[in-house]
Amino acid sequence: MKTLKIRAIVDGKSKGEIVYSNLPIAFLQGVDPEKGTVSDPKSPIYDQPFAGKILIFPNAVGSSVGAYVIYRLSKNHKAPKAIVNQTTDITTASGCAIAGIPLFDLPENDISELSQAKEISLDAGKSELIIEK
Amino acid sequence: MFLTKSEEKALAGESGEALEIAYRVLVAIGKISNAKRLIPIKWAHVSGVSYLTIGEYGLDFLKKISSTRGTKFRVFTTVNPCGMDIENWDSLDIPADYADKQLKIISYYEKLGIANSFTCVPFQSYKVPRRGTSVAWAESSAAIYANSILGLRTNRESAVSALASALTGKTVYSDLHIPRNRSPTKNIRVDLKRRNGDRLAGSVDYGVLGYFAGKNVPGVIGFQGQKFDLGMAEAKALCAAIGTTGSSGMFVLNSKERLETIDFTKKEYEEVFSELSQSGEGEAVVFGCPQMTIEELYELSRMLAGKHFLKKCFVFCSSKMYEISRTRGYAQVIEGAGATFVRDACADFTPLISALNVDSVETDSCKGAYYMHKVHGVNISLKDTKTLIEENAA
Repeated sequence: MKTLKIRAIVDGKSKGEIVYSNLPIAFLQGVDPEKGTVSDPKSPIYDQPFAGKILIFPNAVGSSVGAYVIYRLSKNHKAPKAIVNQTTDITTASGCAIAGIPLFDLPENDISELSQAKEISLDAGKSELIIEK
Repeated sequence: MFLTKSEEKALAGESGEALEIAYRVLVAIGKISNAKRLIPIKWAHVSGVSYLTIGEYGLDFLKKISSTRGTKFRVFTTVNPCGMDIENWDSLDIPADYADKQLKIISYYEKLGIANSFTCVPFQSYKVPRRGTSVAWAESSAAIYANSILGLRTNRESAVSALASALTGKTVYSDLHIPRNRSPTKNIRVDLKRRNGDRLAGSVDYGVLGYFAGKNVPGVIGFQGQKFDLGMAEAKALCAAIGTTGSSGMFVLNSKERLETIDFTKKEYEEVFSELSQSGEGEAVVFGCPQMTIEELYELSRMLAGKHFLKKCFVFCSSKMYEISRTRGYAQVIEGAGATFVRDACADFTPLISALNVDSVETDSCKGAYYMHKVHGVNISLKDTKTLIEENAA
């Protein structure tokens, strides 16, 4: 078990299985909001469902309209239960704020420390990320 | 982040649900950007207007915001293009159910109070505030243009954050609003030794450069290595392409800063060009991504005088620019050459391109090339404006 310091962008608590991408995600045109998957074949998590899991990626890129894709994922019940970024960008922050998805980033650690994790827990109140498995 | 008492109250929901959500968005953005406070803005430009991009849930969200009693935009607000010509969608084969949704989205924005716009080049439609003024612009190409060319200060807002700024009249004081953050972080050195006398020239060249720079520099980009002749068309193409591939919100020309420098040579040019242009020819021609400015409409009419298009051609611009170009006689020449104007719409996010039933499209826009290929599955033939006319009109 290992603990990392997190910064809460949208407050909340979460615990669960992770889906990890070392590459950025473009929500508009790079995510399928009906399936809840990354639809860019170059992505390491291409076609892997992330609904109900904790989605980890460095940051979002591409069109700013991506924020509504996050809202759309949540209305479709295909959203991740929480998101962890290396450094959160404006599209992910605003999308998660309206969709009510807990969102965190990692000010002190490299996101790659999570690449081998299976399950983590997150707590905004304690500013803590615990690698459970 | 410091909030005033009235901002705290609004965040707690005491001023209604719409403002509560708007402040929640600003607080989340404030956290990621380490902002100490919110500042007033003079102009919000909101993206997320085409039904093709925001879909049912964006529509639902806008419906919810606009139906919260008493909710109005508190600052001058323009919006991005929508997905069709509002006056003329029927004859352009836009499906009726799409048009119905699109008109609903427009009605929600109008209820909230917008200036007549539907444009991705808002700086051409309304008087630009003096240099140094803070605004909140979504639409990456316009935000990059605002910072780099107009001297305005804006972060690259998202559809939702710009909406939050329109609702509150505020944005977070961070990043590109702060003068010391407006210097280059990396340089791109142009060293082409080819094309048009070894220099970049025209919209396609600058689009290719922007596409490369956006991919390679996440912060403020410094360009160096040649004299940059940026007319409005070239600047627009450069800004749009930077916005397509990365997160940069600003560039500086003729950067003198000694920084990490990335070379942009013939090799990089060819790589980008072949990524964007899959076809030698296209079955239809698309102009206006971003939408055409009045200068570009003039140029187009000048090049088209006495000619007629040999294939379908669409020209995207705002209805405001269309009206001006009619008054000046440009529109008559362009329409006389067989081109169809599509007003107030986005070339990338309109069902029009799919409805054409073509396999390939010719365009002079790198942003358009990227999105039309991705959204509509058409192959792209990327050519500069002059070549498009020489090859496709006689």
